[in-house]
Amino acid sequence: MKKIVLAAALGLVACHGALAAGEKIAVVTPYLSAVATAEMVNGFKKEAAAKGWTVDVVDTAGDMGAFASRIEDVAATKPAGIVLVSVNPEQVQAQVDKAAAAGIPVVTIDGAKNKSVVTNVTSDNYVLGKTMSDFLFKAIGGKGNIVRFFHSAHPGVRQREIALDDALKANSAIREVGKYYVQVPGQVENSRTAMDSLLLANAGDGAINAVWAAWDEPGIGAKLAIDAAGRKGIVIAGIDGNPQAIDLIKGCTAYIGTVRQGFGDMAKIAADQLGKVIGGGKSDKDELYAPVELITRESLGVKCN
Amino acid sequence: MFEPGAGLLTRGGLRQYGVLIALILLCLVFSAIAPDAFATRANLINLLQQITTLAIIATGATFVMVIGEFDLSFGFTASLAGVMAFYLFGNGFPVPIAMVIALFTGALAGLANGLFVARFEVPSFVATLAVGTILSGCAYWLSGGASMFSGVPESFKSLARGDFFGFPVLSLWMVAVLSVSAVIMSTTPFGRRLQALGANPVAAHLAGLPVFRDRVTVFIIGGFLSALAGLLLSARLGSVQHTMGEGLLLPAYAAAFLGATASRTGTPNIGGAFLGVTIAGVVVNGLTIIGVEPFAQKMVTGGIILAAVMLRRGSGK
Repeated sequence: MKKIVLAAALGLVACHGALAAGEKIAVVTPYLSAVATAEMVNGFKKEAAAKGWTVDVVDTAGDMGAFASRIEDVAATKPAGIVLVSVNPEQVQAQVDKAAAAGIPVVTIDGAKNKSVVTNVTSDNYVLGKTMSDFLFKAIGGKGNIVRFFHSAHPGVRQREIALDDALKANSAIREVGKYYVQVPGQVENSRTAMDSLLLANAGDGAINAVWAAWDEPGIGAKLAIDAAGRKGIVIAGIDGNPQAIDLIKGCTAYIGTVRQGFGDMAKIAADQLGKVIGGGKSDKDELYAPVELITRESLGVKCN
Repeated sequence: MFEPGAGLLTRGGLRQYGVLIALILLCLVFSAIAPDAFATRANLINLLQQITTLAIIATGATFVMVIGEFDLSFGFTASLAGVMAFYLFGNGFPVPIAMVIALFTGALAGLANGLFVARFEVPSFVATLAVGTILSGCAYWLSGGASMFSGVPESFKSLARGDFFGFPVLSLWMVAVLSVSAVIMSTTPFGRRLQALGANPVAAHLAGLPVFRDRVTVFIIGGFLSALAGLLLSARLGSVQHTMGEGLLLPAYAAAFLGATASRTGTPNIGGAFLGVTIAGVVVNGLTIIGVEPFAQKMVTGGIILAAVMLRRGSGK
């Protein structure tokens, strides 16, 4: 038994090998399992490595209570900066305030403006939602039935949903025949099973013309369900520019479009802004936007029959 | 929780104190690796606050486990209580009224669980999962699926923030719940009846004990404590999501199981549950502080729980 305890202790020390030289930055997120969030985190790690920083990443798998606790934990280590990814800091305001009060600069990526955050780097989520909604509506000829996959707890996703609401108000010939709140993590499988049900509830060609996915993973899940059901005439669009979604667009599948957020750009901007603050300066603005890009078969140069 | 007569270094002592020894070893290892961050007063306060809601739910889990049942609705009840309070705040209800309604809702959920289990003999796994799923739907409905964080009264947030002579206010709730529960469990006729009911329900019934009433009461206690935990968690965060409490369920039972190993008979007990919660809290807190990657955290956490249990079993051979 002593050996087990010793091995556990040694394991901890081995896992701990991260405390290296240079500034230490803590990255905390509840959504690392989402491809987009992982891309932002990895992008930030890459930028940080180029600056000689050491990055510790903490994920709480959707648990906001644990998210608050982990912010306290990393703040206790007095890092040079804390980066929160894919979360509105107001959801953990007390912990963010505490970190800021301790003199630790807090930067958010894909979050929201906040009094205790030096800057939030994001895409304009309303623009993302509007770009995708307009594209999808045009793709089905400005009329028909759509289903929505959403997750309002995420502040950015909520803005995309508002853009869809506005687009629906402006296009009375398009009707929302179903909507589903996607569970995270496990969003692909969760969306697939939901789409199975939506297809059964809306049987027959033309009952559903399009799937509006607030981000790409639910759209991918919906596509799996559509393929399994053998349904034709349904198109899907999402947001994020997920590599799998882009492959599906290239492959002439039902997945016809995604709006790419510049996650790499966002991570770079965040790292640069944090570098300025660590160096004794100030961030350029309290919120900065990275550019967005609509990716379609046309933009990829793909010809489909 | 701990029976007298077992020296710390004896085989029996190791069996009884194995979990406690594991906790001490963990603290020593983390303190050695990160003395300036882990072994500090500020981090102790963090830890006390972080384990509070889990400790309260684990207390409810212990009550239910003592009578040989499970309640899978705890996390859902906690979420609903938080959402309901925020919903009521948004509709102009004063904090005390909103809290009473949220706590009453939790107790009501417990009553439903208890009636399904005790009256209709539905297995507690099934009954509480079903009730919990309904509660989850209610929380989703009230919140609209969105995170709620606007217009939260400061008096509500203050229930879980600040300190009282240096001790975190949030953790005072934990101390109160654990103390009252421990007294109920170990010194009252009700507590002794629960032990008897868990040990042999048929004998308890034949002996004329109020089995039905006690079983229902236990589920009501569990629902009430879950609602309290949900309120405190949402006060601590200043926000609430309709899935907020779901992550608390499995760690609460893991803590209660771990704590059961800290008694001579292996039965769930309040002190043991607190020990289990503390181990869970220290492991995550310590691993985060020393910068262990998320994937490794999960592996190490599972390994440490296994090691703690094996330490007890190994010493008992």
